[in-house]
Amino acid sequence: MAGKSAFNPFEMAQAQFDKVANLLDLDAGTRELLRFPLREYAFSIPVRMDDGKVKVFRGFRVQHNDARGPTKGGIRFHPQETIDTVRALAMWMTWKCAVVDIPLGGGKGGVICDPHNLSPREQEAICRGWVRQLAKDVGPLVDVPAPDVMTNAQHMLWMLDEFEAIHGAKYPGFITGKPVGMGGSLGRTEATGYGLVFTLREALKELGLRPEQTCASVQGFGNVAQYAIELYHQLGGKTLCVSCWDQADQTSYSFRKSSGIDLRELRSITDRFGGIDKGKARERGYEVLPGEAWLTQEVDILMPCALENQVTGDNAGGIHKRVRIVAEGANGPTTPEADRVLQQRGIFVIPDFLANAGGVTCSYFEQVQSNMNYFWEKDEVLGKLDVKMTSAFLAVSDLARRKKLFQRDAAYVIAVNRVAQACKDRGWV
Amino acid sequence: MEGQTRRNPPEGPSWVVPFDRRFFDGADPFTRIGGGAIGGKAQGLALIRERILSRLSPQPFDGIEVVVPTLAVIATDRFDAFLERNGLRELALSDEPDDRKAQAFQRAELPAELAGDLRALALQLRTPLAVRSSSLLEDALEHPFAGVYATKMIPNNQHDADTRFRRLTEAVKFVWASTFFREALAYARSVGVDPAGEKMAVILQEIVGRRRGERFHPDIAGVARSYNYYPTGHAKPEHGVVNLAYGLGKTIVDGGTAWTYSPAFPKAPPPYNSLRDLLRQTQTTFWTVHMGAPPAWDPTRETEYMRQLPVTAAEDDEALRFLVSTYDAGADRLVPGAGIDGPRLLDFARLLKFDEVPLNALLRRLLRLAEEEVGAAVELEFAMTLDPRDGLPARLGLLQVRPMAVSEEEVEVTEEDLLRPNAVVTAGFVLGNGARDDVADVVYLKPQRFSADATPAIAAELEPFNRALLEAGRPYLLIGFGRWGSSEPWLGVPVQWSQISGARAIVEATLPQMSPDLSQGSHFFHNLIGSRVLYLCVPHEGSGRGRIDWDWLDGLPAVGETEHVRHVRTPTALRLRVDGRRGRGMVLRDE
Repeated sequence: MAGKSAFNPFEMAQAQFDKVANLLDLDAGTRELLRFPLREYAFSIPVRMDDGKVKVFRGFRVQHNDARGPTKGGIRFHPQETIDTVRALAMWMTWKCAVVDIPLGGGKGGVICDPHNLSPREQEAICRGWVRQLAKDVGPLVDVPAPDVMTNAQHMLWMLDEFEAIHGAKYPGFITGKPVGMGGSLGRTEATGYGLVFTLREALKELGLRPEQTCASVQGFGNVAQYAIELYHQLGGKTLCVSCWDQADQTSYSFRKSSGIDLRELRSITDRFGGIDKGKARERGYEVLPGEAWLTQEVDILMPCALENQVTGDNAGGIHKRVRIVAEGANGPTTPEADRVLQQRGIFVIPDFLANAGGVTCSYFEQVQSNMNYFWEKDEVLGKLDVKMTSAFLAVSDLARRKKLFQRDAAYVIAVNRVAQACKDRGWV
Repeated sequence: MEGQTRRNPPEGPSWVVPFDRRFFDGADPFTRIGGGAIGGKAQGLALIRERILSRLSPQPFDGIEVVVPTLAVIATDRFDAFLERNGLRELALSDEPDDRKAQAFQRAELPAELAGDLRALALQLRTPLAVRSSSLLEDALEHPFAGVYATKMIPNNQHDADTRFRRLTEAVKFVWASTFFREALAYARSVGVDPAGEKMAVILQEIVGRRRGERFHPDIAGVARSYNYYPTGHAKPEHGVVNLAYGLGKTIVDGGTAWTYSPAFPKAPPPYNSLRDLLRQTQTTFWTVHMGAPPAWDPTRETEYMRQLPVTAAEDDEALRFLVSTYDAGADRLVPGAGIDGPRLLDFARLLKFDEVPLNALLRRLLRLAEEEVGAAVELEFAMTLDPRDGLPARLGLLQVRPMAVSEEEVEVTEEDLLRPNAVVTAGFVLGNGARDDVADVVYLKPQRFSADATPAIAAELEPFNRALLEAGRPYLLIGFGRWGSSEPWLGVPVQWSQISGARAIVEATLPQMSPDLSQGSHFFHNLIGSRVLYLCVPHEGSGRGRIDWDWLDGLPAVGETEHVRHVRTPTALRLRVDGRRGRGMVLRDE
């Protein structure tokens, strides 16, 4: 990942916003308000480690905008976490909630740490410490956290438990991503990946392609990628290549099979962080290629489902001429430079904050269910998710067609306009 | 399976477009959800639309708009996905009771790729829907699976979209589950089909009808057949026959009382001795989709949202008042309409006798077109609405077309044959046509133990005999009293088809108090004919030709016996002969 250290995701998010603000001809006050978060929290979390020493972790929470409802966003545990990453992700959450038209604003949080090197007890202490610092500034009516990079349902339960202990009552709607049976929603695990493919299915229809006649290459093999591949295969598609991070080698690899990958087989040789065992993969007939090889495959569809800043001005030229669609499962996987390349080549981009909004939509469903303490069947969750994602996609593609906009710009126009209107209606601007 | 050809599953015509999540205002009123086959019933509807209605002129036909009601069919790949992903196959093909299977299907999850389409439907529709089976085997000429699988009518009028969605998904899962209900598995096995190969598409279809208070139903439902197995008077078999009923078609397909007439002689009264007899045989109840307060929740019951009501409950309906005649006791005659007080007869007189709506002419035209397209005798199911208050605009929805099995085998039974001393059964009235020499088992109801109030118990007693004989691969002759398969226990034994599906020949002995005609529109009747079961009707003494040698049967040792039923095995195979052309039949033993 050489050369990526100078990349500032917040600057990129602001650049994207500025472009849309121009399209919408927003007034200066609204621009100023929406270019920056409403609130930011940065704090220390002292934790007594297993070896008896105290270590202090840095935590963040950014609430970008809550004009449309309580802020919502994940909590990331990542060693390279920065406040600018969190700011950018919080802003994207605002747009994401708005584009799928759920009554929530955008937020994001994080802790600079690497859970791979922490014991469960130490991780629990970080979670509880994070909530103690923010207990008055988050909650079901204020700001609702969720799992994100390297956090999971267990982390959410620790946080919920701490929050409820502090407030002396049960608030299952405080946090989402909880396990089923403990306030979680059925369908949440599948939601982001499935949501991605619901929009992909509509994009294929728009291009006159049948899923069974297409093939795809996917970056990442975590939860989003796995469920996206699952539903894409169920619709008849074939995945030729996936890539993933190798924890031991501290690099990524691509795994290719020209006859199509077998999802069940790959899952059986994958660790809980989405790392595929390359030795076992070779035994099963997969070619093991360098990490970036997923991007250059001869396929119809690319699904970047790993981290931000993966398709860049440097590597976008390597995208095969057969590629018709880029469906962004990850947040911010494509840089503005790469975007220009995609646009010039007429590649249909399903922008990240639309394509991967299935997760937050289902989180919203979870929060609704938790607040009611009444839980739906999975059919109901997935049915609602599909309808929500499909209508969001259709609104975006319709605007893109009518105004001759790039898909990403059309999605931004819809989202930013909704948020700006809410701020205006509240009398803020 | 060497030597056996397996048809490719019908995928449906290429014009069937994908469902675009708009039902009534979509690009096409006939759409498909998913890939794979659309099943026999949907194929039939496609045929109606493309090859029958396209040739029907004028359209509207003299004031009647003829349509295939708007529908979306969930193709079989969704069914496969549902079974596979929920691991239901083993249970489905097991001998677990139907309600266990239905419950397991209810608990299972819809394929993710289907949930959104159903949700979209639930969001936009607030009118009743028929959720209908359309299996690969259903309605194929060689295996008529009529009425074996479930159809569920849902009111779909709940205020809340979530509730409508849940009721819709429950209905779809119920129809899928019915693929593997006991009756369906037994029927598949009885006709030599492996149930594991069966796949179920599901049709979501607009119900042709109108809402009146808590009721939603068509004004007329009917079954028209181009071949009549029971012609009476001047009618010939090829003239066909039509059954009409008020309300949903369930009255007819369940074998209830409906108005039966020959399309060649629509004005001819049915063969009853007197008007009073006729009045006793008129339709008295009808089926409706219940639109009122929710009934007890029971997603595994086919009639969860249906109600059977007395016809008098609809006395104020304009349409009903238009369709009935009223008996004028003073003049001992029928007066069309409901203008005077008196007993009502649902004889559709203003349509059939006075031609105020040219329904009969339309049905004759449709039957002819359908016969030409199918290349065989056909059966059409339809439903219709009309509005007597406003110039009688009418709308007729065609719901199904099915080929009919008419045997051409040359069998001759003469008058002299009926007098043979070695005849176990002779009959002067038969159904079907053909000969069999492979039946050596006889299951019969003991005449001395039979009574009309025991018929439901008898139906249950028959099932184990049927199962054992099916498993042993032994075809059998079934002899009993009254109308087999009647939905009304006092008219005969109310067996489900699955309870006697191994019988290859059936004898219906009438009793003085039990001598109704079989309803030709019923699913039971259809399966009987379609499975080429020979049917012999032996009238009670003094009312016609035919007899049963009860003494000989009673003299054979019993293989099995219950209170009302006896199973015997003959020393050598019986010879069964049914001469459909001359209407005679006999069962002979070795001399």
